[in-house]
Amino acid sequence: MEENTLPLEGIRVADFCWVWAGPYACMLLANLGAEVIKVEGHKRTDLTRHGVVWPLPDPAPHEVPPNQGMSLNSVNMNKKSVTLDLTRPEGIELARRLAAMCDIVVDNMRAGAMARLGMSYEELRKLKPDIIVVSESSRGQEGPHKDYAGYATIHQAVGGAAYLNGYPDGEPSTSGGDVDLINATTTAYAALAALYHRMQTGEGQFIDYSQCEGVSSMIGDQLLGYELSSQVPERMGNAHPKYAPHNVYRCWGVDRWLALEVHSDEEFAALARVISMPELAEDPRFADMASRKENEPELNRIIEAWTRQRDRDWMANEFCQAGIAAAPSRDWRDLYADPHLQARNAFVTVDHPELGELELVGAPWKMSDYEMPTGYAPLLGEHNDYVLREILGLSEAEVVELRRKEIIM
Amino acid sequence: MAGEALSGIRVVELATMVSGPYCGKLLADMGADVIKVEPPEGDPSRQCGPFPPGDPHPERSALFLYNNTSKRGITLNLDTPEGLDAFKRLLTRADVLIDNHPARYLESLGLSWEMMQQLNPGLVYTSITPYGRTGPRANVKGDELTLIHAGGLGNLLPTRSADIDRAPVKMGGYAVGYHGAISAAAATMASLLGRMKTGLGRLIDVSLQDVILTMMRVNVASCRYHGTSWSRVPDRPPAMGRMKTSDGYAVLGAIEDYHFRSLVEIMGNPDWVTGEDWYIMWYRINHLMDIAPMLDEWMGQQQKDDIHHRVAQKGIAIGPINSAKDVFANEQYIFRDYFVDVEHPEAGKHRYAGWPYQMTATPPRVGRPAPLLGQHNQEVFCNDLGYSSEEFEHLKQLGAL
Repeated sequence: MEENTLPLEGIRVADFCWVWAGPYACMLLANLGAEVIKVEGHKRTDLTRHGVVWPLPDPAPHEVPPNQGMSLNSVNMNKKSVTLDLTRPEGIELARRLAAMCDIVVDNMRAGAMARLGMSYEELRKLKPDIIVVSESSRGQEGPHKDYAGYATIHQAVGGAAYLNGYPDGEPSTSGGDVDLINATTTAYAALAALYHRMQTGEGQFIDYSQCEGVSSMIGDQLLGYELSSQVPERMGNAHPKYAPHNVYRCWGVDRWLALEVHSDEEFAALARVISMPELAEDPRFADMASRKENEPELNRIIEAWTRQRDRDWMANEFCQAGIAAAPSRDWRDLYADPHLQARNAFVTVDHPELGELELVGAPWKMSDYEMPTGYAPLLGEHNDYVLREILGLSEAEVVELRRKEIIM
Repeated sequence: MAGEALSGIRVVELATMVSGPYCGKLLADMGADVIKVEPPEGDPSRQCGPFPPGDPHPERSALFLYNNTSKRGITLNLDTPEGLDAFKRLLTRADVLIDNHPARYLESLGLSWEMMQQLNPGLVYTSITPYGRTGPRANVKGDELTLIHAGGLGNLLPTRSADIDRAPVKMGGYAVGYHGAISAAAATMASLLGRMKTGLGRLIDVSLQDVILTMMRVNVASCRYHGTSWSRVPDRPPAMGRMKTSDGYAVLGAIEDYHFRSLVEIMGNPDWVTGEDWYIMWYRINHLMDIAPMLDEWMGQQQKDDIHHRVAQKGIAIGPINSAKDVFANEQYIFRDYFVDVEHPEAGKHRYAGWPYQMTATPPRVGRPAPLLGQHNQEVFCNDLGYSSEEFEHLKQLGAL
């Protein structure tokens, strides 16, 4: 019953991706019911299978076996795995044949890498005219910087977002893998739109994605602001251009913080009541948004003098019940323990053949008549036989021969 | 021949600020017919700016102008029976409703999901809320600052802090809103694809807290199952990553051994790199404290754009930390025609950020500038919904628009 309701059932995807940004785009499609086949060169497997785990308190590197890293397992759920020797013509030919049996082919290698394997869009469309090919590179397939490599933090820097992150008196700051995962989501969106167009018209296409531009499009308002005003937008810390209070406040304990934002006079009056200083709402320094913004440092001092002495989660609850946006600054333990996330099944349980039960983060959406499938990230080469025999239609003898020649593992 | 991927899809957007409007923009720039429904006083993003200097005009807010391209705009007062009736007529003929109000808002107007399904069984209802439509916090307020912390990302920012006693800070701009919008747009497309088979719409429940949590999916699992650290203050001073240059900052990722070898060449074979051990990653990791000051000193003498090209051309991952001004000057972006000129009747002609995806068959485009407040009232009511001009005038007099 559930099977029939997955929206992408019947769609097949070839996933020539590695690390986070490409694999997660394909995982989103797999979560929606597509059959996603992760293709790895068996001499050059996904970097996340090399399993170097960081950051650790102990400076010694910590390696995990190829199927057991949480990077791999978090961004490759619900896929199948095939390993081919992509350094030899027989291996490349099998990859090409597989790609041509898919609806969508995705890679996040350097520009031109797929063309060198004979899997450019032009080549693949000869084999399958309505194919959709998505290349998710750092800077795009053509242009003066097409060969430049990048990671999440570099895309955030080039794209203009890192410049805006940080304390107003401090240095700019990158975040991390979240940048890859949102680029992955944007990539999935573009692929789905292309699929919609194909279903309407029968026409496939090539999507040339730049991860640096993916970052810039998420600060499009700031970029346009510069165009309109010629003022370079700068780091603002936690401050908002209009609203105050709008900050993160120290709580009782060590490294415990409460985020609080007030968007109206009514909410400020409620806040003043929660901290037992109802007179603040009448105080001319704080009576309306403009005066609160003007006297923000003093307001922050008053609020923090109160929060510093109290329990974070208790305060968050008091403020939320009073109708104010407040949240504890959650770390990973807080997230796993959050009753609200538990009630929404935000984490899913995955039964991993080598690791047992894993509690991993689920999908970024809930839908009616939809339950996210919870298949584990495939073991390296787990579906070699399935892919070669069921999809490519090879005989057992052919598979044995390929294995003997180490074209497949 | 270039077409539009989503032509023929009708979207009603009842949304403000970023999460709902940017979702609507993603669809509209791909060719969907998006009708933005604003309250009579307008989307509050019209008040947010940034504005041209000294000109806080509601038709010249960058936040509104960027997030509402390619849409038609109408005003409706849903608190009047006539306004609500017109809204229902819009829903009856729509494929998608994007709504980023609390779940109880439309329910309080008699428009529960069940009621919408009766009006239009094919409707995809994309609901974006701070904490989702179910669970103990379903009715709790949240916005950019609170939700980035609710989902775990805020606690790690700014990365590479030196001082644990300083409060975390959020990302600049409206990261939560954009992340939520993109996730919602992908779910909306998936539902439209699923509808081709079943004819039935879906309720999509996007919780912005969930969206931020999903961005932390590797971090939380690594902490739980590998014992990795979780802190915005790193365990030891980092080498590489963000580095100061003579004129700003760059992010350097010379991770693999052959990267480091190239980097040493670019640095002019400095004396401190003595012996082959330096070309082994684990050796370098164990000597980070020795490397960091040397690299910092060298990088401090470089200019960010110059060193970007010199290092990147050797195949090493690096990028300058660009300001908005720098982004507009990026020759790669200019080569790819990333920016699009948009002429708006009140704000004038400006370059807008485009799309990270170039699509050969269905290139995204700005079909029209962001709508003026109520710009398409007459067109939508009279042409799309079939109101007579008398009925339209009557609606205006009733205060329904």
